[in-house]
Amino acid sequence: MKLGAHLLWAVVAGAAGLFVLLGYFIESEIIIAMRLVLMRWAVLISAWALLLGLVNILYVHFIKVRDMEPGWPYSTVLMLALIVTVVFGALGPDNDIIVMVFNYIHLPVETSLMALLAISLAVAGFRLVAQKRDWPSMVFAGTAFLVLLGTVQWPFFSDELFIDLSGLRDWLVQVLASGGARGILLGVALGAIVTGLRVLLAVDRPYGD
Amino acid sequence: MSLVDLVGMLVLAFFIGGIIVYATVGRRWPAVFRPLRGYSDLEDAIERAVEAGDRVHVSLGTGSVIGSDCAPALAGLTMVSRIAEITSVSDRPVVVTAGDAAMALLAQDTLRSTYDRINASEAYSPNSGRMLGPTPFSYIASLPVLIDTEKVSVHVLAGSFGYEGALAVDFGNRQGAFSLAGTDNVQSQALIYATADEPLIGEELFAGGAYLNQHPVHRASLRVQDLMRMIIIGAILAGTILRVLGTFS
Repeated sequence: MKLGAHLLWAVVAGAAGLFVLLGYFIESEIIIAMRLVLMRWAVLISAWALLLGLVNILYVHFIKVRDMEPGWPYSTVLMLALIVTVVFGALGPDNDIIVMVFNYIHLPVETSLMALLAISLAVAGFRLVAQKRDWPSMVFAGTAFLVLLGTVQWPFFSDELFIDLSGLRDWLVQVLASGGARGILLGVALGAIVTGLRVLLAVDRPYGD
Repeated sequence: MSLVDLVGMLVLAFFIGGIIVYATVGRRWPAVFRPLRGYSDLEDAIERAVEAGDRVHVSLGTGSVIGSDCAPALAGLTMVSRIAEITSVSDRPVVVTAGDAAMALLAQDTLRSTYDRINASEAYSPNSGRMLGPTPFSYIASLPVLIDTEKVSVHVLAGSFGYEGALAVDFGNRQGAFSLAGTDNVQSQALIYATADEPLIGEELFAGGAYLNQHPVHRASLRVQDLMRMIIIGAILAGTILRVLGTFS
């Protein structure tokens, strides 16, 4: 019985994946129509999954508040914010309160996280040089430093005082970095294809057994 | 069907055929992969976490199941399955988070089926697979509390991340957790290289199943991947030489 269900899920997932994949290569009306239907189902299921995900968030944080686990005050704030946003969000995306929440809470918080990212990266750069004293890390840090030098605006003198820093930056970015990035992208693309095929062949079953 | 479509289908057929062939003959001619320090260090770090009663956290990133950025998270789910097996004996089994709700559901299914397979159903909890926040920054903003309260000492990031991926790694570093991170975005990989203890560059993220001994087919697929890369590199070199010869003739 267990094996039967296991096989059924694998066959359904494999067949659905195969139809979507073939729809990109074969210009058959039936296959393209089936691909579109399956894609629409996927979007619908994904929307329901979002609802389940929100319930999951509420449940996890409710348990934390109920059991007074460490960090429960944060969970309380999260639950209140979620409920308030959902209630006022139901009135429409142009609702004044929702616009205010977006402009004065959501946007500033995300911007401050971006600012935090800049600081974190600067610290990580110093840590990289201090802790990983191998040649790839030195090349990485040195390249990043040269690109920074070529990007910033010098207040009192031209960036061509010693060497053409912006030209050096362009060469680093457009020649060396682009070449390296293409090699990395090639590896990522091959890895993504193989990962997808493993799901299609039911070797990897993220949908469970 | 156009020539490009035909070539595409032939390439896919080559991949599938190659995986089947290597999976069949793999035992007779076992592959020797180059050592990847990230994965060997990960196994050591997980063993230490299990012994110390700490938690392993796997982040599947902020990509969605129906988007083109789901492949790294699917590779991450393969790692989740193996990590769940190892940590099932711990008081604190692995916790998996995602920015996409459907991905969180897949994580729950992966954990449940893994624990069922190894007769450790009691290790499963619906809270082991969670959605933290539906947008990239809401997801990242939820991470510090999770890492702190769940006593995370191994922080694995295997999924699609934008620039916020560097922050996700940094939050783990601040708690003193061992961090292994990989993503599909090239710019984010550069940021992760600077922040993670062990960064996974390019295809290394997708090799997790093969390196963590998940299934013989994972090793077979990695061999096909390497073979295909050699063919592409050969084609690029041949094209470059022919182009140069054509220019000068």
